[in-house]
Amino acid sequence: MPDVVIDVRGLTKVYRVHERQEGLGATLRSVLRRTFKEVPAVTDATFRIDAGEVVGFLGPNGAGKTTTLKMLSGLLYPTAGEARVVGHVPWRREGDFLRAITLLMGNRTQLVWDIAAADSLRVLQEIYGIPEERYRATLGELTELLDLGPLLHKPVRNLSLGERMKVEFAAGLIHSPRVAFLDEPTLGLDVSMQSRIRRFVAEHNRRAGTTILLTSHYMDDVVALCKRVIVIHRGRLLYDGELGELAQRMAPYKVITVALRDGAGSAFLDDLGTVVSREEARVTLRVPREHTAERTARIVRELEGDLVDISVEDPPIEEVIDRVFQGAV
Amino acid sequence: MLGQGSIRVYRALITQGFQVLSAYRVSLFLYALFSFIRPIIFLAAWVAVAESQGGRLGAFSKADIGGYFVITILVTHLSAAWDFFEFEFEIRRGSLSPKLLRPLHPINYAIVQNVLWKLITSLAVVPVAIAIAITFEARFATTPGHVALGAVSAVLGASIAFVFGWVFASVAFWTTRVHAVVTLYQRAAFIFAGQIAPLTLLPGPLFAVAMALPFAYMLGVPTEILRGGVDLGTGALMVVGQVVWLAVGIALYRVVWAAGLRQYSAVGA
Repeated sequence: MPDVVIDVRGLTKVYRVHERQEGLGATLRSVLRRTFKEVPAVTDATFRIDAGEVVGFLGPNGAGKTTTLKMLSGLLYPTAGEARVVGHVPWRREGDFLRAITLLMGNRTQLVWDIAAADSLRVLQEIYGIPEERYRATLGELTELLDLGPLLHKPVRNLSLGERMKVEFAAGLIHSPRVAFLDEPTLGLDVSMQSRIRRFVAEHNRRAGTTILLTSHYMDDVVALCKRVIVIHRGRLLYDGELGELAQRMAPYKVITVALRDGAGSAFLDDLGTVVSREEARVTLRVPREHTAERTARIVRELEGDLVDISVEDPPIEEVIDRVFQGAV
Repeated sequence: MLGQGSIRVYRALITQGFQVLSAYRVSLFLYALFSFIRPIIFLAAWVAVAESQGGRLGAFSKADIGGYFVITILVTHLSAAWDFFEFEFEIRRGSLSPKLLRPLHPINYAIVQNVLWKLITSLAVVPVAIAIAITFEARFATTPGHVALGAVSAVLGASIAFVFGWVFASVAFWTTRVHAVVTLYQRAAFIFAGQIAPLTLLPGPLFAVAMALPFAYMLGVPTEILRGGVDLGTGALMVVGQVVWLAVGIALYRVVWAAGLRQYSAVGA
C-alpha cells in the first residue's frame, strides 16, 4: 500500500477583511469604527495524496487553490481543520518538514536577483545541508533535464522569463524534496517552454518519485501530467478523482460529430440534440449521455447513404471544467 | 554555539552577501556618507553654542563635544538597522515566503547583510571620522579599559538596535503601513538615544526618561564609554543595562514573531 504523504481533513481558511463603503461619509466612519467581514477562502477541504502521485488542483481565480497550497506548505495557519504533509503539521514549520517540501510559484522568484543562479544554489546547498556529492549529482540531473548549462552563471535579472522559471525549478528541487507544490509553473511562458516544463515535471516525477500537487490554468499541463484532479470552486472541493472520469461525472452529455455528404440531412440532426456548430458538411451536437447510444444508432440508420463519418466523444476537458466553474453542474 | 553546519551556512551567506553588495557598491558608500551629515550639523551647532558661552556647554568643552560626536558617528554607523523598511517591502513583494519555506530563520540573512554592510562601509566612515576629529580638535578621555568595555558596549548597542528593529519590522505582519509606527520609533530614538546632544545635557526629567528607554543603550551608552565620559564602574553598570535591554528585545521579538507568523496572510506571496 503506498504511503499517504498529504492528508488533509476539514481544512478551512477564513480571511478577515476590512470592509468600507464608498464615499466620504463612509470613509470618515471607518476611521472611527472599522468593520470587517469574514471571507471564506477554503471550506472543509478533505483529501489524501499518495507518494509519487501527480495531482492537478483545478479551480478558477479566487477558488482557494493557492490558499490551500500555502497552508500545506506551512506559510498560512488554517482557521480550522487538520493536515499532515510527510507526517508533519505544516504550519509548525519544523526543519524536517521544510527540508521535505518545496513550493514553486510561477510568478514569484526565490533567487537573488543580482547574482548568478549558481551562487544562490550554493547557498541553498548549505541551508539544506546537502552533501557535495549529492549536490553535484542532483544539479547535474537538473541541468540535463532543464538544459541549464548556459543559464547558471548569468545574473538572474538577465534571464528571460522562461529561463528564470527553469532555474527556479532547479532552486526549488535542488534539495530533492519529497513533495512539490507547483502553483502555475508555466504561467506566462510560451508554448514551447510550457511543453519543456511539462516534460521536465513528468520526467522528474518518474525519476525521483516526487509527489506533486499542481495548479494550472492551462489544461494542457493538467492533461499531460495528472491522472487525478481535485476541483475546487469558491473554497469547496467539487470533485476528486480520475481526470478521465471528470467528464462522465460532471458533464451530463456527450458530443457527436457527424460528417455528411454535401450537407444532406443536416436538418434532421436538429431534433436529436443541441447543435453546437455547423460547418459546411460537418455538424457537432450535444446529446444527453443516457441517450447517446440510441441517438447514434438513429443517425446511422436514418442518414445511411449521406453519412461520411461519425464520432462520439466526451466533451473537451476545458468545456467540462468551464461548466463546473460556471455552476452549470 | 554555532555548529559545523551553521558555520557553513554563514560562510555561504557571507559570500552571497559580498556578491550582492558588490553589485551596489556606489550606492552603498553614498548611503554611508549620508549618515555623517546629521552628526556634523549637530556638532557644528553645539560648538557654536559653546563658543557663545565662553567655550563650554555644561561639563563639555568644545573639544569634548567634538569627541562625543566623532564617537557618535562611529557608533551610529555600527548600530544602524533598516530591517523595518526592508521587511515590509519583502512582505509586499512576496519575497518573504521563499525564505519562510527554508529551514533557516529569515533573521539570519539580515544579520549577515547588516554586519557585512557595516564592515565594508567602515572603510569610508573611519577616515571621515578621523578627519572630523582633527578638524574639531576632538578630545577623548579614553583609557584601554574604556576601549575594551566600549567595544563590548558597541556590539551590545548594535544588537539592541537590530533586535528592536526586527520587533518593529514584525509589525508588518499586521499592517502594510509600517512606516507610521517606524517613524514614531525613529523620532523617539532621535530624541532619547543621544543623537541630538549628549544625554547628560538633557533636562533632568528627559534624562530620566531616556535612561528608562532602550534607545540610550543603543547609542548614548557606548558613545559615553568609548569617549571616556564615564568611569569604568559606571560604564560596567551601563553595560549590564544593555544586557537587560537586549534580553527584553529578544524575548519581545520571539513573541511578536510567533504571533506575526500566525497572522501572516502571505500577501502576494
